[in-house]
Amino acid sequence: MAVDQDWPSVYPVAAPFKPSAVPLPVRMGYPVKMGVPMAKEGNLELLKIPNFLHLTPVAIKKHCEALKDFCTEWPAALDSDEKCEKHFPIEIDTADYVSAGPSIRNPKARVVTLRVKLSSLNLDDHAKKKLIKLVGERYCKTTDVLTIKTDRCPLKRQNYDYAMYLLTVLYHESWKTEDWEKNKTEADMEEYIWTNSSSEKNILETLLQIKAAEKNLEVTKEELLGTKEIEDYKKCVVSLKNEGDSENTLSQYKDSVKRLLNLT
Amino acid sequence: MLKGVTRLVSRVHKLDPGHFLRLGTQAPQSLAAHLDNQVSFESPRAISCTSENDPAKHEEKHEGQHYNLPLQDMKTIFPHGLPPRYAMQMKTFNEACLMVRKPALELLHYLKNTNFAHPAVRYVLYGEKGTGKTLSLCHIIHFCAKQDWLILHIPDAHLWVKDCRDLLQSSYNKQRFDQPLEASVWLKNFKTTNERFLNQIKIQEKYVWNKRESIEKGSSLGEVVEQGITRVRNATDAVGIVLKELKRQSSLGIFHLLVAVDGVNALWGRTTLKREDKSPIAAEELALIHNLRKMVKNDWNGGAIVMTLSQTGSLFKPRKAYLPQELLGKEGFDALDPFIPILVGNYNPKEFESCIQYYLENSWLQHEKAHTEEGKKELLFLSNGNPGQLERLCAYL
Repeated sequence: MAVDQDWPSVYPVAAPFKPSAVPLPVRMGYPVKMGVPMAKEGNLELLKIPNFLHLTPVAIKKHCEALKDFCTEWPAALDSDEKCEKHFPIEIDTADYVSAGPSIRNPKARVVTLRVKLSSLNLDDHAKKKLIKLVGERYCKTTDVLTIKTDRCPLKRQNYDYAMYLLTVLYHESWKTEDWEKNKTEADMEEYIWTNSSSEKNILETLLQIKAAEKNLEVTKEELLGTKEIEDYKKCVVSLKNEGDSENTLSQYKDSVKRLLNLT
Repeated sequence: MLKGVTRLVSRVHKLDPGHFLRLGTQAPQSLAAHLDNQVSFESPRAISCTSENDPAKHEEKHEGQHYNLPLQDMKTIFPHGLPPRYAMQMKTFNEACLMVRKPALELLHYLKNTNFAHPAVRYVLYGEKGTGKTLSLCHIIHFCAKQDWLILHIPDAHLWVKDCRDLLQSSYNKQRFDQPLEASVWLKNFKTTNERFLNQIKIQEKYVWNKRESIEKGSSLGEVVEQGITRVRNATDAVGIVLKELKRQSSLGIFHLLVAVDGVNALWGRTTLKREDKSPIAAEELALIHNLRKMVKNDWNGGAIVMTLSQTGSLFKPRKAYLPQELLGKEGFDALDPFIPILVGNYNPKEFESCIQYYLENSWLQHEKAHTEEGKKELLFLSNGNPGQLERLCAYL
């Protein structure tokens, strides 16, 4: 093949691998002992796998050039990702399918995916926790993105309306507080809260006993709670429970307990 | 004459402990015996052993060195509670030597400065498998025994939550279960350890076993223990009484109480015991566990509570788990909070060197390359400084 030949015309569409047309000395297969992988001539392995020889960068550039006539200009004001997110926080993904066949319809085309970052929604602490509990698996903690995928209606437009309706309902419901929400138990909590926990009770009891032993009965609970050592201890316990054990958290916890109990 | 003496002295200096073992491969034992005759006063154990046998006087300069525990004491203080491999080593070497390490020194320091008017402080020894938590606990127990504290040692709490043959329904509380065998065994060992206290302590309440038997107020604790040992049915209740009385009376200041529990994570874990209808029993429903949980709460004063976490005997916990929260679970952590966690780690280079020297001096390592630098490096690499692993490796050499 000549070096300056037009490759997209050799492979204009997805086609099986033709060893005579592809000039590359490709080898594929498991070698025999003291051997090399099989050559490309008559190689079934190369035929089995999908190839993207029709999508070289040159070919893609040509496709883009052809499609440009059907596109409008990108708005000049939206030149960074943050601006895009600020003005258009909700992203909708849809797919269209074209194939040669008796019908132009494709049932896969009705799927609509809605993605939104929770930080762009106006939610307070309780609303955010409630929303995350309501959506469950659809929320990703690391990227803070809520993904809603709908395909229950037959048409794409209907699915899009349904997805927007779901988002609206979630938002409004999470702001409301129901009566039964005050029965939330410790097991339901997403993170460890120190106030009114057993850890607080234990430490207060211990300190009160210490004070009683030293005949210092005038100290009240509130005073004890306000001291710096208890603040420190509280931070250490919370970090231990939320982040789990590690050298760092455990040694901090140890130091704070030592200071609380006045051990050298 | 003088030349002969100087030659002897110089030979002694050349063949001092650090170097004599580098002499070739011919019969290290005979060399050791020969040298023991020559170097009789200067103990060849200067590097790995210290002569300071009283744990109260152990300090940082003794770190890494072994100290000798008299075998007589071992029988009284540790009728139960030594790790099985260590007991075998004790029998082989005919002596008991424990290494002085940092976590134990730290704990000793806290215990020496305990304020007996304050509620008992809880210390938790945690660490990976085989790093020496149980032996550190034994070191602490030896110290407290020497200081004349009353030792309440539960060698392995995991033994009480698994493989129990007979479970009786408790007469004291219908919901709970008794374990007569385990309780009576423990009472026997408790008696061996604390003989001298048993007659001094008097119980302050009347306990009724059943219609015919009862214990009057004012009788000694020894009688309660005897009852438990002879009448195995009541052993669990006897244990309960012992624990309750000790807790109450240590606050009065007559004696100091050390509660040492090995494998404390068993108290808040699952059990493998089942009722007759094959439904599982929770840990709270065992009377022994219930009483022990009350014991490790810090609502009493006049002593200290030292505990170790152990994955080795634990049930339904992964092998790599060693951190407090993983092994104790939420319930256990909340019950033990606030406590002082003390990490027991692998050997540092000095301790490793000392351990190898100890084995070499006892002629435990017979391999000819064992005393060379490459041999030691290989052992260090294979065991990663883990005491348990090192001990198992050296058993083959």
